[in-house]
Amino acid sequence: MYMELTEEQKLIQDTARDFAKAELEPVAAQLDQGDDRAPLMANLKKLAELGFMGLNVKEQYGGTEAGVIAFSLAITEIARACASTAVTLSVNNMVCEVIQAIGTEEQKQAYIPKICSGEYAAGGFGLTEPGAGSDPSSMTTQATRDGDFYVLNGSKIFITSAPYAGVFVVWAVTDKDAPKGKGISCFLIEAGTPGLIIGKEEHKMGQHASATNELIFDNCRVPATAMMGKLNDGFRIAVAELTGGRIGIGSLGLGIGLAAMDFATRYTTERTQFGQKISSFQALQWMMADGYTELEASRLLLMNAAWRKENGKSFAKEASMAKLYATESANRACYKAMQMLGGYGYTKDYPIERFTRDARITSIYEGTSEIQRLIISREILRSFAA
Amino acid sequence: MKLLVCVKQVPDMESRFKPDSRGVWFSETDLAWRMNEYDEYAVEEAVKLREQLGESCELTVLSIGPDRVGEVIKKALAMGADRAVHVQDLDAAGKDPWQIASIIAGYAKEQSYDIIFTGMQSQDRGSAQVGVLVAELLGFTCATTLVGFAFADGVITAKRELEGGLKGVAKLQIPAVVTCQLGLNIPRYPTLPNIMKAKRKEIAAIPVTELLKEEPLAATTSFHPPAKKGGGVVLEGDVGELVEKVIAILKDKTAVLR
Repeated sequence: MYMELTEEQKLIQDTARDFAKAELEPVAAQLDQGDDRAPLMANLKKLAELGFMGLNVKEQYGGTEAGVIAFSLAITEIARACASTAVTLSVNNMVCEVIQAIGTEEQKQAYIPKICSGEYAAGGFGLTEPGAGSDPSSMTTQATRDGDFYVLNGSKIFITSAPYAGVFVVWAVTDKDAPKGKGISCFLIEAGTPGLIIGKEEHKMGQHASATNELIFDNCRVPATAMMGKLNDGFRIAVAELTGGRIGIGSLGLGIGLAAMDFATRYTTERTQFGQKISSFQALQWMMADGYTELEASRLLLMNAAWRKENGKSFAKEASMAKLYATESANRACYKAMQMLGGYGYTKDYPIERFTRDARITSIYEGTSEIQRLIISREILRSFAA
Repeated sequence: MKLLVCVKQVPDMESRFKPDSRGVWFSETDLAWRMNEYDEYAVEEAVKLREQLGESCELTVLSIGPDRVGEVIKKALAMGADRAVHVQDLDAAGKDPWQIASIIAGYAKEQSYDIIFTGMQSQDRGSAQVGVLVAELLGFTCATTLVGFAFADGVITAKRELEGGLKGVAKLQIPAVVTCQLGLNIPRYPTLPNIMKAKRKEIAAIPVTELLKEEPLAATTSFHPPAKKGGGVVLEGDVGELVEKVIAILKDKTAVLR
């Protein structure tokens, strides 16, 4: 078994790390204050120009065509500096991939290059609704056929990047009498389409620079050509694309966890108590050992899931395992890191409290830990079925 | 115009260095590798000139070392070099600056380059000799520690960093070698599509034995960490007594009162 990264993957990882250190880390705390999004927008533009928005997207659509492993590595390095930037990247890549997977040639040409080049700061992924979170197939947003148009009514919630997304992938019910999950279709809707309203922005615990908004559809008319994929076949696509997104969010969690453990471990080698460096205390050594062991296991789970996706193998179970373990490990790493800094870790003078808040959502969005366990156990039981 | 830029792969300077089994260089176990910082300035300046001169210009990147140097070669290609030469050498670290320079000159003398860019020095060995030796071996003009570079009408205008914060300006006829210093430019990030496209650019592999004809002029005899300093001396007693003790120590251990 060969586990060395290719030269290209290493260069992409190095570029992401260098960029994150030079451009993202210095503004991450300021972005966390949440009152000025300009540095985020400037950095998204630079990241797009460097090719980070379509890592697993074909060159002909402006992508980098670097694969899923490179995508995972890049998200982790970006997240080590700024989780808000990393989640925007992860969602943008996912939106590009869903358009590439099921869009018509015209749709691919029209939208993917705009996200990849940074002409659109972001793409939106409109699936979750107030009454349909972990159970997205119970969505109620409707798209009704009207001649050559569809008319959408309803609302979506927790939509990442909504105020500055140029285009949204939106799921809506097109056959309300169909069995659950069978009557949903997928649409591509441009920002500014009449009847598409960007609703209120959530005041979140962390990841402040990344906007999370409600989307409202009030008789939003889109041409029938805005449909992506087959009529009433949209839900299957949503599920498939979320699976890839889980590799992104797991990688993001890993980045935050590593940032927290690196900061706290360095701190223990500088801080003195009882006349010695606190790194000499076994209690803290064990926190380091456990924290880094879990993060290393997370990395291997992520690399395996990414490798399987990149090589066309089934990866749903592996992606869920990686997402579950990496994001929960990241939360535990942040808890340990704060413990290692003691009272200072609880202040805003140090980044651990930000890492802790930023990490918390990773075990919730893109499928909660509980949903991941449901997927994993279902896959396992399938192989035991008589 | 033909341009050459020479790059070296060095360990990440935040690594923990240990002597190798021969005790003459650092062990390569567990090191992360990067492009030498000063060579990044050299690549950036060479790529800028390549862009200024357009299609009539070709920029080659050269690196000496084992397979792992492929990564810095690819980085330079991704930053904008057109083609690459990898001089395959499993023991580049064991060669002195004279031999390294003679390998580069051995390759370059058949290629009629107009300008050769190198870093001012490497971050690991730090001899700052390779660039000037290449110039000497090829009979090229040379300017070192560049913090400014311009090229027009066949003449290089080089702003050099001198001792004591002074700057000097030199005008050079080509062919020339210039060595690049911090402050010359801010190296670009290689774009990801260019990283992927670098795979398709030509990388010529040449065994070092075809180019190296020189014996070493210098040998590294020992590689070791600095000796640990002992703890400081704390003097106690009243002031008059302390003054006597300090004077005695200064006379005994130092040259200041002799």
